[in-house]
Amino acid sequence: MKQLKIPEGIKAILMREEITESQILYKAETDMDPEGSYRDGLVILTEQMLFFFQETKRAERVHYFKGYGSTREMYANWERDWTVSQYKVLDIENMFIEPQVACSTLTIRYRGIDYCIAAFSNFCKHQVHRLIMTWEGRPFEVEEEIYCPTCGRMYPDSATRLCPRCTNRKTAFLRATKYFKPYRLKLVLMLICILAGAGLNLVWPYLTGMVLYDRILAKNQDFLIRLGIAHGDFVTALFLAVVTMLAVKITLLLLQIIQGVFTAQMVTGVVRNMEKDIFRVMGKLSISFYKNRQTGGLMTRVMSDADRVTGFYFDCAPYILINGFIILASVTVMVRINWQMTIVTLLLFPALFAISWYLRPRIWVLFGKRHRAERSVNSTVNDNLTGARVIKSFGQERLEAERYKEPNKGLLNAEIAISRQQNAFHLIYGGAQEIASFAVWGLGVYFLMSGKNMNLGTLITFTGYVGQLRGPMGFFARVYNQWADSMNSAKRMFEIMDAIPEVKEAPDALRLEKPKGDISLQNVTFGYTENKTVLKDITLKIPAGSMLGIVGRSGAGKTTIVNLISRLYDPVEGQITIDGIDIKKICFHDLRKNVAMVSQETYIFMGTVADNIAYGKPEAGRMEIFRAAKLAGAHEFIMGMPDAYDTRIGASGRELSGGERQRISIARAILANPKILILDEATASVDTETERLIQKSINYLVKGRTTISIAHRLSTLRDADYLVVIEQGKITEQGTRDELFKLHGTYYKLLELQTKALTIEHLPCSEG
Amino acid sequence: MPEEFNLSQMERETEEMLKIRYLTKHNTVFKRTEGGFVSLSVGEESYLRIQVMRMFPFMEKDRFLSVRSVGDKSKEIGIIEDLEDMEKETIKLLREQLNLRYFTPVITKIRSVKEEYGFAYWDVITDHGECRFTIQMGGNAVVHLTEERILLSDIDENRFEIPDVGRLTPAERRKLDLFL
Repeated sequence: MKQLKIPEGIKAILMREEITESQILYKAETDMDPEGSYRDGLVILTEQMLFFFQETKRAERVHYFKGYGSTREMYANWERDWTVSQYKVLDIENMFIEPQVACSTLTIRYRGIDYCIAAFSNFCKHQVHRLIMTWEGRPFEVEEEIYCPTCGRMYPDSATRLCPRCTNRKTAFLRATKYFKPYRLKLVLMLICILAGAGLNLVWPYLTGMVLYDRILAKNQDFLIRLGIAHGDFVTALFLAVVTMLAVKITLLLLQIIQGVFTAQMVTGVVRNMEKDIFRVMGKLSISFYKNRQTGGLMTRVMSDADRVTGFYFDCAPYILINGFIILASVTVMVRINWQMTIVTLLLFPALFAISWYLRPRIWVLFGKRHRAERSVNSTVNDNLTGARVIKSFGQERLEAERYKEPNKGLLNAEIAISRQQNAFHLIYGGAQEIASFAVWGLGVYFLMSGKNMNLGTLITFTGYVGQLRGPMGFFARVYNQWADSMNSAKRMFEIMDAIPEVKEAPDALRLEKPKGDISLQNVTFGYTENKTVLKDITLKIPAGSMLGIVGRSGAGKTTIVNLISRLYDPVEGQITIDGIDIKKICFHDLRKNVAMVSQETYIFMGTVADNIAYGKPEAGRMEIFRAAKLAGAHEFIMGMPDAYDTRIGASGRELSGGERQRISIARAILANPKILILDEATASVDTETERLIQKSINYLVKGRTTISIAHRLSTLRDADYLVVIEQGKITEQGTRDELFKLHGTYYKLLELQTKALTIEHLPCSEG
Repeated sequence: MPEEFNLSQMERETEEMLKIRYLTKHNTVFKRTEGGFVSLSVGEESYLRIQVMRMFPFMEKDRFLSVRSVGDKSKEIGIIEDLEDMEKETIKLLREQLNLRYFTPVITKIRSVKEEYGFAYWDVITDHGECRFTIQMGGNAVVHLTEERILLSDIDENRFEIPDVGRLTPAERRKLDLFL
């Protein structure tokens, strides 16, 4: 590989220190200074010394980064003035890279003090890392092959070892053909069918024009003799012509059927094999390959790319052949009939093809754009569907609709641009064809009238051929036809749109601006489906500012109760009131503003961390966001990410752990500052340490609010003022902790069970 | 019992985590260290080395800075609400640290963008000179921070920024068309 030769200036300095090139253990280039600018440098490690050379004056040079073209220029002219600093290797206590956001620094601990030796972009990180490994005496493989052996360029992605320049499209095309190999015989048969069909298509205008008009209708005796039919018997000749025509049509139909059957057989096989191969290869690739790509993108690759490739081979490739053949043959025949008229027909086409060729890259860009727009719409929808419960409980349906608007608009614009382009294509092609066929008719009639080597039948045959050109020419003009596809999706979308929401806002909904937070349920019965009741006759009173704990086995209906209070569903019977007002009469906006939920199901949407925290209060300032995060114990992990509160998370961004997501949703609830807070297994999915942390934040959070807390772990409900036990949709026990304990019922049993489990957990011998 | 001990320590740490301390020019002294870093003394405490980070690196350059200790157990010492309110020397010192940490050349002119086989090759002029870099298509290499503002990450995750697409020439915007 190409590497920097030690510049003469540096050699001279080293010489003064009596160091020769052979004594150098490792050298690493650096390209920045600690002030945050580009500046070239070289770190050189020998047995005794560590040198750092930095150019005294910033040289004006082009900065090349990985993957970019000629590296030769990069190492040209390194003759500059150098400033040198040096350190005794014996006194270096530690040497490490300190990563910044998009660059790094090399730090050494030298005689007890940290020194920032050099700064460098990520491009140089690899070399510096090697230098440190050399200093530590750790072995490493000599040099990874990150350069294409054919052209000497760097691989843009060393995980795939694919040189984009050396694997061009041609080889990809040829490589795809290997999947058709098992179907060689069928392919040949299909090709014969195609060619035969195209040939027969060519005969058609000849039969309907010249044979019918110029031979039979014009009573041409020579024609009868050639066919061996009795003199004057034109009826038989006509009969024969009609039978031939019929035979041609039937044969054409048969050929099409055979072709269709072959295609169907091959497509499924080829697609299956391609998908299998892609899957196998993806399994083999290292994780770094996945890290850099979106899951959505990979899914497209598996699901639809194979389809698209074969689609091209079956829907386009054969027709390029057929249509090319038809054009060529038709034109040949046309030239033989009348060359002047042929020229008139074809006059405009070179110009048309030139236009298409010119517009080609533009269309390419447009399709790429649409693909991306589609992807972002899909992720937004995906995001939205998985988080439906949280969206509703924070009353952000409108915001979500807004969020959808953006990518949707992008997609719309992309589609419009494509349609515009395609329409222009069609218009130009259609127009040119019309003009050509008018000109042909005009010229033909002129030839006919002036009696110059032209009969009516010949003219009809000729225009028949002109007509036959229409299809193939049109084919070359439009390649992508998305009509059926889009209609299909539209139909599916309307199905959803036509559905009517079950929970509706009352027309004369009341405002509830500053509620106290008294909640009461009166004889509430509810079932998700009509024949299965989940809650039966629940009556509960939760005074403002108190905390209610709900205990019960999974599936007992705990979550259903809070779903009803935040009005994600309406009870079948009974009534739920806040401050004495039926929640059905409270307007959605106020209800949701005052009832916030932290549940085990966290919703993180695409956007920055700050946006996610400010979900329930989009107008929140940065200080408020920071405070909420701090109180939720989220600030530390957020600051651990390079882009901190501006980090993009969600579908396409950084992945968050369960505890991190949970803390963001707590910060969200703190910021939303609701009067009524619902904690639905808020700490169920995190470890004990995180739980304690979250519990601390929650303790802060519940102050001055009416809280309903659902938990499996009874320890979570330590601070509850009142507890209810729910079993099979009914309240079976209720009271304070002490009261329930004395009852010796379900609560007591659960408590005993969990205490036992806890003791077992802490027994030292249980591990062994 | 060690369990108990850890518990109380943890409680203490949690309490600490929930507290906010503001750093102002009255309660702090920032100094450059011999090794080129920054030290801090605040009240009774002193730190040999600190680092400064932005809470909102894309949105707030000088406001909401988090000053943190260095090392494996790096924790927040306090926050600076607005750098402008600090001593002149401190501003210079910390701004230098921030410039290095968030080093991102700003693209002033786009000479060419070529897309080939899943990678885009950029030839641009930045406020730090001419740069040529490669980004991967189809990943998260191009991020729209706002409608106009674009952040590019090359295949080594070096960053480049286009602060305002609207200020590019129409020809440059056409080169960018694929990413807009």
